[in-house]
Amino acid sequence: MAFDEAFDVIVIGGGHAGCEAASAAARLGAATALVTLNLDLIGQMSCNPAIGGIAKGHLVREIDALGGIMGRVIDRTGIQFRLLNRSRGPAVQSPRAQADRALYRKEMRATLENTPNLDLRQGMVVDLLIRKGKIQGVAMQDGRTMAAQAVIIAAGTFLNGLVHTGRRTYTAGRAGEPASIELAETLKRLGFPVGRLKTGTPPRLDGRTIDWDAFESQDADENPVAFSFSTDRIEQPQIKCFIGYTTDRLHEAIRQNLHESPLYSGQIMGTGPRYCPSIEDKVVKFADKQRHQLFLEPEGHDTNEVYLNGFSTSMPAGMQQRFVRMITGLEETKIIRPGYAIEYDFVDPRELGADLQCRRLPGLFHAGQVNGTTGYEEAACQGLLAGINAALLVQGRSAFRLNREESYIGVLVDDLIKQGVDEPYRIFTSRAEYRLALRHDNADARLSQYGRDLGLVGDMDWERFNQRRDRIARIETALQSTKLRKSDISYRAASEALGGVDLGDSIALSDLAKRAGATPDAIFKLLPGDIQTSTGRTDLEAALADNLYSGYIKAQKVVVERLRSHDFAAIPVGLDFRTLNGLSHEMVERLERVQPKTFGEARSIPGLTSAALATLFVSLSLPAKTT
Amino acid sequence: MDTIVAVATPPGRSAIALIRLSGPRSVDILRSLTREEQFTPEPNRVVLKKIIAGELGEVVDQVVVTYFAAPHSFTGEDVIEISCHGSPLIVRRVLDIAQMFDARLAGPGEFTLRACKNGKMDLSAAEAIRDLINARTNAAAVQATRQLNGEISRALRPCKEQLISVIVTLESALEFVEDDLPQVQLAEMQARLTDVQLQIQNLADTYSTGHLLRDGIKVAIVGRPNVGKSSLFNKLLRLDRAIVTDIPGTTRDSLSESINLGGIPVWLTDTAGIREAEDKIEAIGVERTHRAIADADLLLVVVDGSTELLPEDLRVILQVHDASHVLVVNKCDLGQRSDVENKIGNRSKVVHLSALTGEGLGALTAAILEPFGSVDSEVAGLLITDSRHHDLLRRAQGALGEALNLLNDRAGEELVLVGLHNALKFLGEITGETTTEDILGEIFSTFCIGK
Repeated sequence: MAFDEAFDVIVIGGGHAGCEAASAAARLGAATALVTLNLDLIGQMSCNPAIGGIAKGHLVREIDALGGIMGRVIDRTGIQFRLLNRSRGPAVQSPRAQADRALYRKEMRATLENTPNLDLRQGMVVDLLIRKGKIQGVAMQDGRTMAAQAVIIAAGTFLNGLVHTGRRTYTAGRAGEPASIELAETLKRLGFPVGRLKTGTPPRLDGRTIDWDAFESQDADENPVAFSFSTDRIEQPQIKCFIGYTTDRLHEAIRQNLHESPLYSGQIMGTGPRYCPSIEDKVVKFADKQRHQLFLEPEGHDTNEVYLNGFSTSMPAGMQQRFVRMITGLEETKIIRPGYAIEYDFVDPRELGADLQCRRLPGLFHAGQVNGTTGYEEAACQGLLAGINAALLVQGRSAFRLNREESYIGVLVDDLIKQGVDEPYRIFTSRAEYRLALRHDNADARLSQYGRDLGLVGDMDWERFNQRRDRIARIETALQSTKLRKSDISYRAASEALGGVDLGDSIALSDLAKRAGATPDAIFKLLPGDIQTSTGRTDLEAALADNLYSGYIKAQKVVVERLRSHDFAAIPVGLDFRTLNGLSHEMVERLERVQPKTFGEARSIPGLTSAALATLFVSLSLPAKTT
Repeated sequence: MDTIVAVATPPGRSAIALIRLSGPRSVDILRSLTREEQFTPEPNRVVLKKIIAGELGEVVDQVVVTYFAAPHSFTGEDVIEISCHGSPLIVRRVLDIAQMFDARLAGPGEFTLRACKNGKMDLSAAEAIRDLINARTNAAAVQATRQLNGEISRALRPCKEQLISVIVTLESALEFVEDDLPQVQLAEMQARLTDVQLQIQNLADTYSTGHLLRDGIKVAIVGRPNVGKSSLFNKLLRLDRAIVTDIPGTTRDSLSESINLGGIPVWLTDTAGIREAEDKIEAIGVERTHRAIADADLLLVVVDGSTELLPEDLRVILQVHDASHVLVVNKCDLGQRSDVENKIGNRSKVVHLSALTGEGLGALTAAILEPFGSVDSEVAGLLITDSRHHDLLRRAQGALGEALNLLNDRAGEELVLVGLHNALKFLGEITGETTTEDILGEIFSTFCIGK
């Protein structure tokens, strides 16, 4: 077959998954094409103009540690940086930044354009070209064909996208952009199990029509915490956001008009996310709540557009306009873009391996919303992983996987490919069993070595990483070896700072630091002078977090080890679970549905009894029977 | 890898029971059990040791110990095999002490799993053991669905719900910091957790009775000669099992029989009367009586109520007054002469009866069963009889305790949650797992999340 162009890797979609995928594959040396419907909308934030947040910020830090690009781009375009949970433990702190939406797109496109081995192509992919069960390339709507050994689908909400505002519906991938219908049909034709999900977005307001004084303001952090380990300073001027509340009148009006909402009329079939409910849902499901919180988030330095966070809705556009004006401070407000709900196809992620490659069609990878996730960060980390593995596949190198113990990315992928999804999947810190070990401040210590080995972390960043690691190690040594004795002046000061508690005859800084009330600043002042001058604030915080959690992490490892000690055992491909004596019908069904490849995977199947696992394990250790 | 412990021989009474430890800390735990910190066992050599317990260094049992060094053992790990006397009570104590030194009670088939993992198991052995595991779990499954598991789960459900509600509150506070959630009420959480801890404690405490219910109790009848011990023995047995004469010292040897008393298996022992022995045979008999006393869970001290108390009676009473006992004033059909109550004060539970007529036997049965509460009545409380359940409840309680301490110290939520999740995990091993999805579902239905 003759192709118009030939690449190693083709990425379909220029959103957050597609950008990471294309960048990673190209930088690993694969000739890569990013195909997207509109080159001007690369890196578009379809919904909230913000990146990060609890657990999501962890993902971005991990992407950065592995050599991905999201962290760098948001650091250059973020206009309100805040470290969330600052007053809480370091494991649950996470950076968040609001972006200048237009700047983010521009910066992302420039980053991709400056990536060697990467070509951008505008157009719509309508078909996958397959020969002998392997992917050969893609066919475009305009008749072009492109060859590739690996194809990554990162089509977001575009597959069979259907937008709802009130009773009106129209096919679209996002408001104002065409849906991808033929590619969605191709996937169904290939036998992929396809489901339907729903998400929504709030209206955007004209900032000139808002009475800003009616809202509480929320400032950016004075010392912004960057996402990328390579960022020294946040250069963008920082802005304020604003907080307001819904009113009784508004709740009543929504209740009166529920029949106008496609969510309540039965028009929408797809499942929406419970943690991101529409305003209709909030009013109905939490009827006793007096008021719901709303955030006004300016979309950039050079625009009047304001994002009304917390007001996601699919009511008719005219009604949205009337309802918004029932909010104190928005009495005169005009909507620039109405909110809407969108339904789209996703493919059951249990089709994928941990490398995000489809078992059904080798060479095809899925990343992002097509796997049933929601969120830019969730999409980006899958894009990175798919891009890496597509390049590795083309180069004949073995696949790259991350596990739950070492990263949130590993948690997310493991959840997706084992449990599947029944609502849009979002990451939470509570999804990670090893929350204390998976911190945003140590993402580099956990993952940069992998990025370096793969070839994604450049020399300069690798040097930075090593220096930071050494500085943290020096602080950790100093924490252990520096002791305050009762006779020291600093001992009394430390004791008084903690409310006059008795610290014994002497106390190591590492123990003092674990006391509630011992601030990083106080500990810093007690460190030896040479450590104080040669290390920075973020180094100290990482060292203190390691110190605080070390005992828990060790104890947790014992528990985990006990649980996981048999996980290595492989389950032979094609093992007929029915032949195992003593497994109930139900257990056989569960095993057949998941088709676990190792004992560890079998163990994570919900509902499998310990007796069934014992039976399975014993059978695994038996030599194959000769027939 | 942690160190596990379990009984390798079938449950119940036997001459010898084999207890097996496997894991890196096996030798350490043996040192703790024997209180010989310097002891280094030689592999594959059988040695005689004493298992010591308590502050006073009481000898639990004299045992035979064999050490199999990794990888040359059944599991491929360091293994210690302890052969002790086959009393369920001794076995229980050794297991309890081993767990105090951080051995974990093995799950079903866990030794086999370890053996398989380390490549120690061949085809036939593994199949045989697999069948054994299945048999045990099937039996356990029948038990579980019919009574125990269901009941324990039901008893634990309120605890679990309370625990989950605290977890939901704390997780939400961490996870949805930008949402407008109600303030976390520290005092309320403390109260809830304390309550959960108490409930689990109460349930765990029933094990001291519950395991007796399953393993039975040992009751020895003691006293000076000729007070009617053997008559009482026969009466309780409803059999002329022991020879009864009016010649003091007729019973030369201890005699044991098993009876069912209100649903509780009781191992009843008739003993030779305690006095200065007149011959060698009697001396051996008296020696055996002392051993039976040491071995029993409960003593029935028999005196003759128709005569004054003799110095021998008082000596026996004095000897047993620290042990759990009932004072049986026999021969009430002959009239009451001894004022037992006045002589010994109110330290003992006293029952007046006649082993001849059977009068007062009901009162004796009630006195024996009293510690078991209303076991056989309709309103019987739930008792923990399975040592694995007991172990898990204790672990859950420990994890809760840690969480509460951290909460009281105002430590970070993420640290408090470690203990709470662990406690939930331990309870889950009894009642079924609570998944992250369950918790998230609870969060989203409790709070309006969604900035």
